[in-house]
Amino acid sequence: MIRMRTIEISVGAFMLAGIIALIFIAVRVSGVNLSQATGTYTLTARFHDVAGLRVRSKVSMAGVAIGRVAKIDVDSEYGEAIVTFEISDKVANLSADCGAQIQTEGILGGRYVSISQGADEKLLKDGDRIRNTQDAVVLENLIGEFLTRQGGGSNSDKGGS
Amino acid sequence: MLRLLRLLGQEALTRLGTLGRSAYVLFWTLYSLPRRGDLELLGKQLYQVGVLSLAIIVLSAFSIGAVLALQGYTQLAKIGAEQSVGLGVALVLLRELGPVVTGLLFAGRAGSAMTAEIGLMKTTDQLAGMEMMGVDPLHRVVAPRLWAGIVCLPVLTLIFNAVAIWAAGLVGVDWLGIDPGGFWSGMTDGVEMWEDVGKGMVKSGVFAFLISWIAVFEGYDALPTAEGIGNATTRTVVYSSVVVLAVDFVLTLVMYGEFK
Amino acid sequence: MRAIHSSAPQDRRETEEPRRRAACKWYSLPRFDADPAHTLTDNLIEIEGLSFARGDRVIFNGLDLTVPRGSVTALMGPSGTGKTTLLRIIGGQIRPDEGSVRVDGREVTRMSRGELLDFRRGLGMLFQSSALFTDFSVFDNVAFPLRVHTDLPEDMIRDLVLLKLNSVGLRGARDLMPAQLSGGMSRRVALARAIALDPKFIMYDEPFTGQDPISLGVLATLISGLNRALKTTSLVVSHDIHETTQIADLIYIISDGRVIGRGSPTELKHERSQMVQQFMTGAPDGPVPFHYPADDFLEDVLGAH
Repeated sequence: MIRMRTIEISVGAFMLAGIIALIFIAVRVSGVNLSQATGTYTLTARFHDVAGLRVRSKVSMAGVAIGRVAKIDVDSEYGEAIVTFEISDKVANLSADCGAQIQTEGILGGRYVSISQGADEKLLKDGDRIRNTQDAVVLENLIGEFLTRQGGGSNSDKGGS
Repeated sequence: MLRLLRLLGQEALTRLGTLGRSAYVLFWTLYSLPRRGDLELLGKQLYQVGVLSLAIIVLSAFSIGAVLALQGYTQLAKIGAEQSVGLGVALVLLRELGPVVTGLLFAGRAGSAMTAEIGLMKTTDQLAGMEMMGVDPLHRVVAPRLWAGIVCLPVLTLIFNAVAIWAAGLVGVDWLGIDPGGFWSGMTDGVEMWEDVGKGMVKSGVFAFLISWIAVFEGYDALPTAEGIGNATTRTVVYSSVVVLAVDFVLTLVMYGEFK
Repeated sequence: MRAIHSSAPQDRRETEEPRRRAACKWYSLPRFDADPAHTLTDNLIEIEGLSFARGDRVIFNGLDLTVPRGSVTALMGPSGTGKTTLLRIIGGQIRPDEGSVRVDGREVTRMSRGELLDFRRGLGMLFQSSALFTDFSVFDNVAFPLRVHTDLPEDMIRDLVLLKLNSVGLRGARDLMPAQLSGGMSRRVALARAIALDPKFIMYDEPFTGQDPISLGVLATLISGLNRALKTTSLVVSHDIHETTQIADLIYIISDGRVIGRGSPTELKHERSQMVQQFMTGAPDGPVPFHYPADDFLEDVLGAH
C-alpha cells in the first residue's frame, strides 16, 4: 500500500510535467509570445490574383515577419481580391507608396505577402490601403506564357509538348 | 431468413440495453456530489491512472518522434525541403498522432486496469458489500476513476507531444544535421496555438471522456467470474480503440473541414 | 464481552427458548403452530407473498416469512433455492416482482435511494466471501463504516475499531492485509466490520461454508454471543445442519420458492414431512431426487442409435 504522501508528490510532479509540456509547446513550437505582446493595426490591399494565399499567412518585410493576413474578401464587381492585413505596431512607418507582393516560400512552400518599403514621406495609418500591389505568380500561367512565346517564335511545336 | 432477422433484432436490443445501462451508470456516477475524503480517493486514482502511465507514454513518444523525423527527413531531403521536417512532424503530432496514439496507449494500459479493478471488486463482492453498508460504489469506486481518466489523458497527451517533438528535434537537428534555425522557426511560424494545439487538445478531451466511460462501465457491468473480467478488459480495449479512431475521423472532418 | 465465552450455546438456548419463540400470525403452514395460544411477539422482519422470478425461473412464489426480534433465525434449504437472493431482497438490493418486505415497520421494496442508504446503516451483512476491501488493512476495513457514516474523530474511531476487533478476537491482527488472513479470520474481520455501527439486524450469508471445525465453533459462538450481547436480530443462511441447529432459535426450510418447514430445531427434528426429514438427515434420495430426470435406464444404455 503506497503511502499517501508519495502519491501526492508524484501526482503533483505529474501535473507539473504536463504544465511544462504545455509551456514548451506554446513557446517553442507555436511561438505564442510573438504578436501577442504588441498591438496591431490594419491595412488593406487589392490584388487581381491571390491564388494560394490564406488567412493567417505571413506578412513580412525583407524576410522578417511583421504581421498576418486577417481576411480575404472578393470584390465581384471589379473581379479583385481584397486582402486585410494586421501589421505589428512596431512597424508603423510604412510609406504610402510601399509595395505588397505575393510570393512563394521555396518551391513548394506556402504563399506569403512581402512588403517593400517606399520613399514617400506620407506614412500609412490604420485602415489605409496599399496601392502598389503585385499579384501572385501562378505557375500554370507562367508555363502557358512561356509556351505561347515559344510557339510565336517558331512555327513548329505550337501547343505541343 | 426470419430466424436471422430475429437474431439480429435480439442482438440490437441487447446492445441497446447495454447502452442504456452505461448511460445509467454514467448519470448516477456524475450525479453524486463530491464530499470530504473524496479528494483522497481522486488523488489515489490520479496516481494509478496518470503517473503509472507515464513510462509507456514517454517511451512511445520518444520513439514516434524520432521515427517521424527520420522518415520525414528521408523523403523531404529528396526535394531539398528538409527544413520543413520540423513543421511537418509538429503538425502531424499535434493534430493527429498525439491525441490518437496517447488515447490508444491509455486505453490499453489505464483503461484495462480500471476495468479489471472494478470488475474484480465486483467479483469479490466488495461492491455489493459497500452497497450493503450504505456506501454508493458508483460514488466511491467508479467516480474517482472516471474523473481521473478525464483529467489525466489530456495531460498525458501534452507530455506525449512535447517529448515527441523534442525527440524529433534531437534526431533531426543533432543527428541528421538539419539546420536548427530552419527546423525550429519553421515550426514556430507554421504551428498555431488554437488551430493545431488547441484542436488537438479538444480531441484529447473527447477521447478522455469516452475511454474513461467505457472502461469504468465495462468493469462495473462485468460478469463476476474470472472469464467475465477477462472479456470485460478485452472489450474495453477494443471498443475504446475503435471509438477513438472513428471519433478522430469525425472530429478531423468537423474541425479541419475546408479541405477543398 | 466476556459473556460470550462463558455459557455453552445449548444451555442458553433452552432457558431462553420460551421467551424467544415466535408465534405470529403470518406463517402459511398451520401444522407448525407449536404455540396454539398465538402470542403475538414483536417481529423485526415480516415478509408476505413474496414473488420473484429471474427470466423464466421462478425463484419465489408467494413466500411468507417472519423473523422475530432478538432471535437467531436460520434459513435453510437445498442449493439454488435463492436464499442469498432473499437476503438481497431484504437488504433492498433487488426488488421483488410482488409482495411486501417490512423491516422494523418500514417497507423496503418501496424505498428510494436515499432511504435505502439510511436503512442500510442499521444493517450488518456478512458475505460468503467476506468481501473485505483488499487494498485496506484489517483496521481500515473495520473503520470504513465508521469513517464514512460518522463524524467521529480518529481517536474515537480507533477505540471503537479495537473494541470490535477484540470482540471477534482479532485485535492483534489489526495491521494485517486481507491477503494475509485465513478464511476463518477473514470472516471474523468481516463480522467485526458488520457490527461496527452497532446494527439492529445482521444477515449472515453461508458463514459456515468451507470452514475447519475450530473456525466453525468460533463463528457459531460469535454469532449467537454477539446477537445476545448487542441485542440484535440475526438471520443466518446456511447449509450446515449441525452448527445451525446449535445456535438458531427458529429455522425456516425453503424449497421450490416456498416455506416447507418452520420451527425450532427440536420441533423440526420430529417433523414428519418427507422433504424436511430428507433435509435434516441429509438423505441422498427422497423428495429431492438423486437422479436428474432421464429416460428409463435400460432403454437408454441398451437402445442403440
